[in-house]
Amino acid sequence: VKVVAGRRVFSVEEVSARLASMFEGLRSFWVEAEVEDLRPSRSQVRFTLRGGHAIDASMNGVVYERLPHKPADGALVQAYGRMEFWRPRGQVSMRVERLELVGEGLLRAQVDELRARLAAEGLLEPGRKRRPPLLPRRVGLVTSADGAARQDVLTNVWARMPEADVVVVDVPVQGDDAPRLIARALRHLDAVPEVDAIVVARGGGSLEDLMAFNSEPVCRAVAGLATPVVSAVGHERDVTLCDLVADVRVSTPTAAAAAVVPSREALETHLADAGQALGRGLLRARAGAQEALRGRAAGLARALRGRGELARDRAERLAPRLAPALRRAGAAAAARADRAEAMLGLLSPQRTVARGYAIVRDAQGGRVIAGAAGVAAGDELSIELRDGRVSARATGRSPS
Amino acid sequence: VTSAGPGDAPLTFEEALRRLDEVVARLEGGEVGLEEAVALFEQGQRYLATCRERLAAAQRRIEELTAEGLPAAPGEPSEGEPEPPF
Repeated sequence: VKVVAGRRVFSVEEVSARLASMFEGLRSFWVEAEVEDLRPSRSQVRFTLRGGHAIDASMNGVVYERLPHKPADGALVQAYGRMEFWRPRGQVSMRVERLELVGEGLLRAQVDELRARLAAEGLLEPGRKRRPPLLPRRVGLVTSADGAARQDVLTNVWARMPEADVVVVDVPVQGDDAPRLIARALRHLDAVPEVDAIVVARGGGSLEDLMAFNSEPVCRAVAGLATPVVSAVGHERDVTLCDLVADVRVSTPTAAAAAVVPSREALETHLADAGQALGRGLLRARAGAQEALRGRAAGLARALRGRGELARDRAERLAPRLAPALRRAGAAAAARADRAEAMLGLLSPQRTVARGYAIVRDAQGGRVIAGAAGVAAGDELSIELRDGRVSARATGRSPS
Repeated sequence: VTSAGPGDAPLTFEEALRRLDEVVARLEGGEVGLEEAVALFEQGQRYLATCRERLAAAQRRIEELTAEGLPAAPGEPSEGEPEPPF
């Protein structure tokens, strides 16, 4: 300090030393703010802590590198440290020792961290995904007792498959107990031998609401089940880790139902079609065999006739016996065909006839006549219709 | 050709349906002799019957449990001590 013309004049160093001494008494404290303008470097990480106003802050680079969750610009944090005065530039800044994410940012960071660990273990691999069986003996459902999801899934499952057998385990879907109890419910259903598919369902919600489905216990339980799991958690935009670990991810109760039970109606139609196709295939093979038999008998007779008088004589004697002999050779096959054909009665005719088709049989044997070739003018026929039989006589035939 | 004699393990619905569809595809593909067609037809009938039996066996039921009522798995934290939530 010098006195010049009655004035006390300080040097800059004296001023900054004085200020620095005022800051020395300040204690460390926690402050909540958004992180802005992060400038990481190896030795010092500088950033701004912003509320309504802003505070410059810095953190040791090594300490920063070791943070479990590093903030992004704009993240809400709680920072612990003390205010310091930096003499060379007369600047006030906060020396931060601890920096923790809070709120949504923390949740996101936790989700990202767990996702990275699950991915590193290969638990998110598409190759792990299993398809639920077409027709599960029983369906497991893990959901909240009072959520709309519960009724929505049940309604949709029964709409597709009215006879579906469902085991529901009610769980809390949020709160501290949720992860543990959801995991317990999943493992219980996995151990029920007849449960062939499990649905986990919850309606949409905030990230915080959905955190149970981003929790490690639930993800590990889902990944460890022997039974395929369908995750119906949240809406389309809310992807949870449970969705990623599960075998199937859906975002509506309708899709959840479609993933675990078949449409009964579609199955019935498919089976009826298959039954009819079996019958058609058999009849076609039978017609083909008969055709081949006829062609061969005629060819053989022709060949014999071409061989001079003696052969012709033999052929004429043989011809009447030839066709029956060939027919006998195929008789065993024909008998099987007839037996199988009789079984057709078990599968499709009633259904087909009810739709307006008719079955034509010969009047004597009741043998089904599938083609015009099997009918000659004057043959007596029996025609089966939806509500009874009609006797008829063929008056002619023409190939289609 | 798939086959399932009476001595085979019972098929699931899905397996029976898959084999049924295979048999139908073979029969419909043509180029099948009569003997084979009859054999395929008979197999198809068995798979069809299996599918129908499985479907007919299904019964609408609901069993309702609560997770709190289920026994805790070994290694699961006990009720009293709250687990770190995440």
